[in-house]
Amino acid sequence: MKATPHYAFSPASYRQRATIFSGTAILLVAACIFMGFDPSMLFTEFHFVIDLFKEMMPPHFHPLWEDKTIGMAILETLSMAFMGTLIGGGIALVLAFFAATNTMPFRAVRLLVRAILSIQRVIPSLFIILIFVAAVGLGPFAGMLTLVFSTIGTFGQLFAEIIENTAYEPADAIYATGASRWQVIRYVILPQTLPSFTANLFYAYDINIRTAIGLGIFGGGGIGFQLFQAMRLLHYRDALALICLTVLLIVLTEKMSDALRGQLLGGGALK
Amino acid sequence: MPLNHRTAMNAISYNLRWVRRYRKGLLALVILVPLASGASYICGVQWTSLWKGMAESGALVRLMTPEWDAFAEMLKPAMESVLIALVGTLLGTVLSILFAFTAASNIAPKWLRNSVRFVLGLERALPEIVILLFLVAAFGLGPFAGVLSLTIGCIGMLGKLIADAIEELDPVSLESIEAIGATKIQLLVFGVIQQIMPSIISFALFRFELSIRLSIVLGAVGAGGIGLEMYRAFFLLDYPRATTALVVILAMVFVTERLSEFLRKKIKAEGALK
Repeated sequence: MKATPHYAFSPASYRQRATIFSGTAILLVAACIFMGFDPSMLFTEFHFVIDLFKEMMPPHFHPLWEDKTIGMAILETLSMAFMGTLIGGGIALVLAFFAATNTMPFRAVRLLVRAILSIQRVIPSLFIILIFVAAVGLGPFAGMLTLVFSTIGTFGQLFAEIIENTAYEPADAIYATGASRWQVIRYVILPQTLPSFTANLFYAYDINIRTAIGLGIFGGGGIGFQLFQAMRLLHYRDALALICLTVLLIVLTEKMSDALRGQLLGGGALK
Repeated sequence: MPLNHRTAMNAISYNLRWVRRYRKGLLALVILVPLASGASYICGVQWTSLWKGMAESGALVRLMTPEWDAFAEMLKPAMESVLIALVGTLLGTVLSILFAFTAASNIAPKWLRNSVRFVLGLERALPEIVILLFLVAAFGLGPFAGVLSLTIGCIGMLGKLIADAIEELDPVSLESIEAIGATKIQLLVFGVIQQIMPSIISFALFRFELSIRLSIVLGAVGAGGIGLEMYRAFFLLDYPRATTALVVILAMVFVTERLSEFLRKKIKAEGALK
């Protein structure tokens, strides 16, 4: 009996891998040519990045405490994200009860609310902020409204799933004593879901801070707007200081939100 | 009178039972109400101006009628946005595998692992839009800066995820490959990449969904593509054109989401691409 040679891959799987690999490579090259994206530019033009760094060094930190607008901008970003999370989270919570199978008996209402939530999730926030800027003008109010909108879209669906995942035995037990639907929500579903709602809202705040910085560029005000201005006016040293500040803000929010979530979900539940 | 005193206290505490019962809710109210009022003051919240502005600008009414003729013009920018996301994700995934090797404790020495993890954390903390602002200042407007910023964002996210996946690998399987005399490269290819390939692909698909959404926003800041098209239409108050761009974007996001979900399910079912 002839010994069959052992390959690392069987010929069929080798062919499949080769096809996938070469297909991806061809696609990549075609895409680069179509866009006019030249990867070698990264090496030939890298001196621009070094020049920019040289212009940015050393960062001008002193406007951070001398200029009142920067302090105000930080407050604006923080409060934009806060209000967005609070109002958006509140509305998402209410809508979630209308979208969950165990709290909403009517199928039509559930489908309608779910459709609204998924539309809100896919519409890009760029579009939303441009509409709100057209309606209420530039400033943090427009940014806040956008965050409300996007928070509802992202977390409404999630909250509905959390509600649907509650244990149904306690609800059955309380229904059996003659409780109304409202009482079941109040005494069975809310106590089970409230910790994870709150934990998710801390997470939402973390996301909203990041989004708020991006929205600033399109007229949402706050630190993103200041950064955009500094970059546009070629005040690179101020810009680098603002970038450092942004990173600090995001890291601090993330740590705080993680710590609070870990505490809420009983430690260890979250890495 | 001690007795009287006690009855009075009981009466008070009886009346204040609800305070004790709802103390958590009350505490939340006491904290949230001042915070919310302060925050809404800073944001300049004026609900009346919202209703009035919505009615006056008439944006919503005019948005209802997309300009169907503009669809053909939207296709090329849309294609560009998709390609920016695709190339950024592909490059980012390949590079993030390299970063992940140096950020995994079972492959790289401790000092290297910790410093690479720090860099990855820094990349994650920088929003893509800020990276793009920086790159646009260096390289000028265009897809180049867009692709690079998505690549950097992708490395920050996938680098950590893949490194975590490598660290969770069974050390026994790595040792057995080493024991039969594999070189370091062979160990990485057959011991590590081979095993985590399914998770790398599903992370990359997930990141691609995110990149598509980001490429729209980045487009408006200077990467070009459909986001720029929509931003320009809004700037010129050409709402029907903006709606057309929105329809194209929605289709784009929807299709990529479905596609990535389908592929991820397939990978999960088959274990890996065989």
